[in-house]
Amino acid sequence: FSPFPTSQLPTVSPPPMEETYLELYLDQCSAQDAPTPPRSPLLSPSVPYDVDMLTSSNPETAFNPQLEEVTETSGSFSAVDLSFLPDELSQENKDQAVIRSKHEIEENCKTQSQQTTLPLPSQLDTGLALNSSSGSSSHSHLHPADGNSAQPSPEKPHSLPLASITPMTPMAPISECSGIVPQLQNIVSTVNLACKLDLKKIALHAKNAEYNPKRFAAVIMRIREPRTTALIFSSGKMVCTGAKSEEQSRLAARKYARVVQKLGFPARFLDFTIQNMVASCDVRFPISLEGLVLTHQQFSSYEPELFPGLIYRMVKPRIVLLIFVSGKVVLTGAKKRSDIYEAFENIYPILKGFKKA
Amino acid sequence: MSGGGRCPDCGSAELVEDSHYSQNQLVCSDCGCVVTEGVLTTTFSDEGNLREVTYSRSTGENEQVSRSQQRGLRRVRDLCRVLQLPPTFEDTAVAYYQQAHQLAGIRTARLQKKEVLAGCCVLITCRQRNWPLTMGTICTLLYADLDVFSGTYMQIVKLLGLDVPSLCLVDLVKTYCSSFKLFEASPSVPAKYVEDKEKMLSRTLQLVELADETWLVTGRHPLPVITAATFLAWQSLRPSDRLTCSLARFCKLANVDLPYPASSRLQELLAVLLRMAEQLPWLQVLKLDKRSVVKHIGDLLQHRHMLVRKAFRDGTAEMDGQGQGQGLGDGDVGSSSLELPAGKRPASPALLLPPCMLKPPKRVCPIPPVSTVTGDEDISDSEIEQYLRTPQEIRDFQKAQAARQAAQSVPNPT
Repeated sequence: FSPFPTSQLPTVSPPPMEETYLELYLDQCSAQDAPTPPRSPLLSPSVPYDVDMLTSSNPETAFNPQLEEVTETSGSFSAVDLSFLPDELSQENKDQAVIRSKHEIEENCKTQSQQTTLPLPSQLDTGLALNSSSGSSSHSHLHPADGNSAQPSPEKPHSLPLASITPMTPMAPISECSGIVPQLQNIVSTVNLACKLDLKKIALHAKNAEYNPKRFAAVIMRIREPRTTALIFSSGKMVCTGAKSEEQSRLAARKYARVVQKLGFPARFLDFTIQNMVASCDVRFPISLEGLVLTHQQFSSYEPELFPGLIYRMVKPRIVLLIFVSGKVVLTGAKKRSDIYEAFENIYPILKGFKKA
Repeated sequence: MSGGGRCPDCGSAELVEDSHYSQNQLVCSDCGCVVTEGVLTTTFSDEGNLREVTYSRSTGENEQVSRSQQRGLRRVRDLCRVLQLPPTFEDTAVAYYQQAHQLAGIRTARLQKKEVLAGCCVLITCRQRNWPLTMGTICTLLYADLDVFSGTYMQIVKLLGLDVPSLCLVDLVKTYCSSFKLFEASPSVPAKYVEDKEKMLSRTLQLVELADETWLVTGRHPLPVITAATFLAWQSLRPSDRLTCSLARFCKLANVDLPYPASSRLQELLAVLLRMAEQLPWLQVLKLDKRSVVKHIGDLLQHRHMLVRKAFRDGTAEMDGQGQGQGLGDGDVGSSSLELPAGKRPASPALLLPPCMLKPPKRVCPIPPVSTVTGDEDISDSEIEQYLRTPQEIRDFQKAQAARQAAQSVPNPT
């Protein structure tokens, strides 16, 4: 897979195969509802070259906030007018509109490739080495940033018009576009037993409890099935950790409440809430973290001197992802399972764009 | 302690620092004339008496600013001076520190954190102006732990909402390499070890670029890679004399600390170079190993782009096409062909992947069976009772606890 080469665009109109994929994609778009366009992290910064990003939720409604900004960026892209894409398009309008834009973009790129030097964008893109001195897509951060002393504005997508309209791969239905399901590893939940507890008595009467008041003011209790640990406080509040699913967490919390009941306390089971869910998965290809932090600066934090992974704080849904060079991804901060899945479907196309070629 | 001035009254040089009502004063010990008075206000005569009073210490500015903030700002300025940063950096760092001090979480933090915060502000300023300052350097200057520093750094970047660009590798290479004391002969550095700075710098840059292209830099601390690259560059410029020198000895000669991961980075870099060497026809016949390949680093670097492309096939494409196990299997085949006799076709390309993906997984994580737990199942009494102590056990436990208390309270005779 190679990044979208600006100097090697096909000069003929798209072959018939691409037309059908176009239609597939457009069917997708029209079938989707359009709630308030989310400020998806996909589209605000500079976008990678793979068009699979469009398979995430609400591609076309999310386009709109970006299109105005696109037309104001570097002069070479000013001719591309993408404001024709309204929220709702009828089928044939879409076809015409998209094909028209494709031609425009191709013409634009032809003129671009004729220019010898293009103004270097203020944010260097990995792979989009327009000067193409070296054939390989070496990391742009090795080349000193040109006068980039001030914080670069994140709203300067360069390749957005080029990559976004021409689908290069067949569109799969949104629900299975990545084929990878993150596995839940840990669930943290809390419950209120609604009675004052005598921790010393609990530690004395229960085999599976440890209590060291000088170290920590709670009893640490463990059960074998589901394999979990609970912190039980004297106020009656309890934290249950270690379960691999929401149902297991609830069952475990109920078991702890039963144990406390059997010890003679009038324990109830109030306000059971899942506080945090941690999941992990493997995308199975190496990820260029330097590139990712360059283009998604406002969401990412990559400090190799401190931690080998990149910390990506997704805004919607509000999830923190730890992304490693080996392709392993850890997702945390979710209160619902759907948040995790949504976050992963959001990040997967971004990561695919940073597979080094 | 005298400040080198003279008393304006009697001209004596015996000026003594004295505190009167907790206000510092410079007093002539001969005639008792007060030469300068206080640090909060200055007069023209104070400055005339060679007591340099900076604006930040003089009237007015400090009235609004708390003492701890003053101390912090002074620390920021001192750090900038010690690091010999350009003057504009100092102003930016001070501005960041003042901004940070507005935040409630910082104002009430411990002194240790405020000290570290001064370093964070300097680091952020340097990063934004592409000045290659590593966190290790700042921590050494602050006598702080890296974990304390990292916590404060991440917090302040988040709270102030700053965009901090990554460390610029090229500049870091230049600064770090220049700090190696190998460019002039000295009693500790024999003549055959002395090297020309420009040649070493350019070769090191090429090696670091090569490491970057072959996934050796991503996710790792940048400095050990540069140390390994500098060492290889230095060795390869005069292999006959320098192959006998080890990495540790090299760092000692050059008066530079050897970071712990540098030797493993060195091995990885040599492995990459060996793979590239297999693609050069005149090197295939030589059956190079990790020592002999150093002699040919010049050649390898000259053709590095082509060689990397030939020597490694795209690891990412392999992942798509086949399963991961299969792809790695091919990679192993590629590596085993090192043993092929000379004259055969060049080794099939190895996978271009980060080292963590090339190693076999330490333990295979089994996919957990799909659990059919609903969370509302009945909980049997027997299951709960297994966790409770019987009355007899309780008595035994209490006895044991009492005995332990007694044993602990009796002092140890020895």
